[in-house]
Amino acid sequence: MSIQRTEARVADRSVQLAPPLIQMQGIVKVYPPNVLALDDATVSFADGEIHALVGENGAGKSTLMKVLYGLVHHDRGEIRYRGRPVRFRSPGEAIAAGIGMVHQEILLINEYTVWENIVLGAEPVDRLGRIDRKRARGEVQAIIERFHFALDPDAIVADISVAARQKVEILKLLYRDVSVLILDEPTAVLTPQEIPQLFAELRELRNEGHTILFISHRLEEVLELAERVTVLRKGRVVATLPAAQTTRRDLAALMVGREVLFSSRRTPQASGDVVFAVEGLRYEDEHGRVRLKDVHLQVRAGELVGVAGVEGNGQLELVNAITGLLQPTAGTLRVAGVDLTRAPILERRRYIAYVPQDRGRMGGSLAASVVENAIMTHHRLNPRLTRWKGLLLDRKAAHHFTDELAQRFKVSMPARAAPLRALSGGNQQKVILGRELLLECPFILLDQPTRGLDVGSIEYVHDQMLAMRRAGRSLLMISANLEEIFLLADRIVVLHRGEIVADLPVEQATLEQIGRYMLEGKA
Amino acid sequence: MNILTGLLNGAISGATPILLAALGGAFTFYAGVFNIAMEGMMLMAAFCAVWGSFAFGSWLAGVLLAILGALALALIFIIFAVWLDTDEFVTGIALNLFTLGATTYLLRQSFGVKGVFAGPGIDPIPRLHLPLLADVPLLGAVLSGQNLMVYAAALATLISAFLVFRTSFGLRLRAAGYNAASLDSSGVSSARMRVYALLLCGVLCGLAGAFLSLGYVTLFSENMSAGRGWISLAAIILVNGNPWGVAIISLLFGFADVLGLLLQSYQVPSQFTAMTPYLATLAALYFYARRHRKERGYVNR
Repeated sequence: MSIQRTEARVADRSVQLAPPLIQMQGIVKVYPPNVLALDDATVSFADGEIHALVGENGAGKSTLMKVLYGLVHHDRGEIRYRGRPVRFRSPGEAIAAGIGMVHQEILLINEYTVWENIVLGAEPVDRLGRIDRKRARGEVQAIIERFHFALDPDAIVADISVAARQKVEILKLLYRDVSVLILDEPTAVLTPQEIPQLFAELRELRNEGHTILFISHRLEEVLELAERVTVLRKGRVVATLPAAQTTRRDLAALMVGREVLFSSRRTPQASGDVVFAVEGLRYEDEHGRVRLKDVHLQVRAGELVGVAGVEGNGQLELVNAITGLLQPTAGTLRVAGVDLTRAPILERRRYIAYVPQDRGRMGGSLAASVVENAIMTHHRLNPRLTRWKGLLLDRKAAHHFTDELAQRFKVSMPARAAPLRALSGGNQQKVILGRELLLECPFILLDQPTRGLDVGSIEYVHDQMLAMRRAGRSLLMISANLEEIFLLADRIVVLHRGEIVADLPVEQATLEQIGRYMLEGKA
Repeated sequence: MNILTGLLNGAISGATPILLAALGGAFTFYAGVFNIAMEGMMLMAAFCAVWGSFAFGSWLAGVLLAILGALALALIFIIFAVWLDTDEFVTGIALNLFTLGATTYLLRQSFGVKGVFAGPGIDPIPRLHLPLLADVPLLGAVLSGQNLMVYAAALATLISAFLVFRTSFGLRLRAAGYNAASLDSSGVSSARMRVYALLLCGVLCGLAGAFLSLGYVTLFSENMSAGRGWISLAAIILVNGNPWGVAIISLLFGFADVLGLLLQSYQVPSQFTAMTPYLATLAALYFYARRHRKERGYVNR
């Protein structure tokens, strides 16, 4: 009820606004064969505002922006820019008209320098077509200084931080003189300490007259930065609200279509015996660089431990050492009293359930059917699924098992035989999560279990994790989202350059303190 | 002429077709196209060169037709691998096998001969005598009096290095290979860069083929490219496409070629010396695969 009232109120507001810079009217986009990504979406953006777009995964916010940017072509509807109807056939045309987009995944050439990346596609050249390096570098230096970005134009992109790479992406557009900047989840890759700087730089750009449209999952950020917020749900624009008069709860309700709880539902409980223990874990890569340094970590039964850290500080190596994808140089791994340090992967799988961060590559096979994805590993460990001493799969049992999984974990799928690719991200993750939890392992390892999922799916995954905690399993979660760790974990561990620099009960930790550990290590 | 200058001259002649084809392949390598069609382009060009030279009585017409022939194959490659997005490797194999059959068939149809077509009617590419250089002791005998196409290959190396490393074209070309999505998002079509690279490859393989049948020898024989396209691929992979590196590797292959001929006069079976290019290709692929395994970063083992 309240949602519909808000929608009505918003419809009135949009009429009163001054003529907008960009007006998108009745945009329809169907991805073949029949996925309706945008369903008559109508929205307008004012000149010089910071405007946020929020919505669940698949709500159409990225698609809407890609339509504006000329990367995706809409099937119906009209775009008016500066009062004139436009239809960009390619991003190049959009950029020439002054509209630029920074994608979610950073698209830079790692082998090139900062200035080479910035001028790529718009290089100043002499008569022979030779790049005028001095001029190019000078122009890049000038915009870096004009917008107060701290960047070295001669640094190789592979050597600079993710936050710096994002700045390069933004500068690339500013170099091309765009006045409308579209940012797709710019904060997803940043640490909490880096976000205020990005926001300050974006405000600076706005003050210089730029219009900023940004997509985000993080509602508190949206409310902090944006002047207006547009909410999308299932391809439709359900509301555009002034940020000052909106709460996070309102936005979440509009996004999901129902109330969402944000408080921790973790209830205190006494933890049991140590189930998972690594001692003195050390790993040196083939170049002799130390990737894990004397890691000691224990997780008890009924305990959920969160691992925080800036990406690339040993999380991947820790996960691979536990799952058996790499052999540590030194140290031991024990789960439920069994020494697994040198155990083959199949043996480990009797004790370790594992939800990888990359659903499509490590977690499952996008091309394989839901059934095949559901029974992976089970087909080796569960005798019920095979016949003839494991030589043949029992198809009936596999189908039965898949149905059971789908029912228990509320997977919605077109058919059992459909490829995993046909499922939404949330449902893919449910298949993988379900498969792993059904292994009934005492220890559960989760690597970014909610990355890229929408609010509703995140809530579901969190519920399942907490249920496992209540059931006395021990859980280790690696997450780039500190809020998630604070919401779920009993203890928080910080990895910095392959070393555990903090191991605190969540009650004693603050967001700022953990952020400092992540960036600076042991102070 | 002593043995050393003889060897060097032989090495340069042997290196020229490999170098020209490898420079062409280097452009596609930088653009991120796995192009193995140099062999076929060269063979087609060699046939067209002889046909053109014989029909028009002019080596220039032969060279032009050679370029057109190789470009036609490049165009087919573009239609399939770039436009229709088929597998580059399979497309390349198909083109190479097609060309072998087509040139053999055309040889019989046009000239009514089997195996080899030679004759006084074919106008060869002339040698170039450089007046001043010829007088330099020792070097003069090597630097002057080479086939025109040898100098063209040297010039092509220079131009390729300039294009790849100095110009905006080169920056975009390499960007297409490093990260095509990044280039596309910069407003430059990576597919277009691949097309340019393949067209350049066609032109250079055309020159390589013309040298084979109008410079190295003055005849066309079935399958006369004889694996040189594969060797050029090996050269590219060994030095990551760098034009200067390609030149050095081509000279080494050219030298191995002459050495093989020399060994034959010492009773080493010619079938054995004929194996060397392919062994070299295998060695190059081994290094290629090993480097890629490292890059993939699989840490186990």
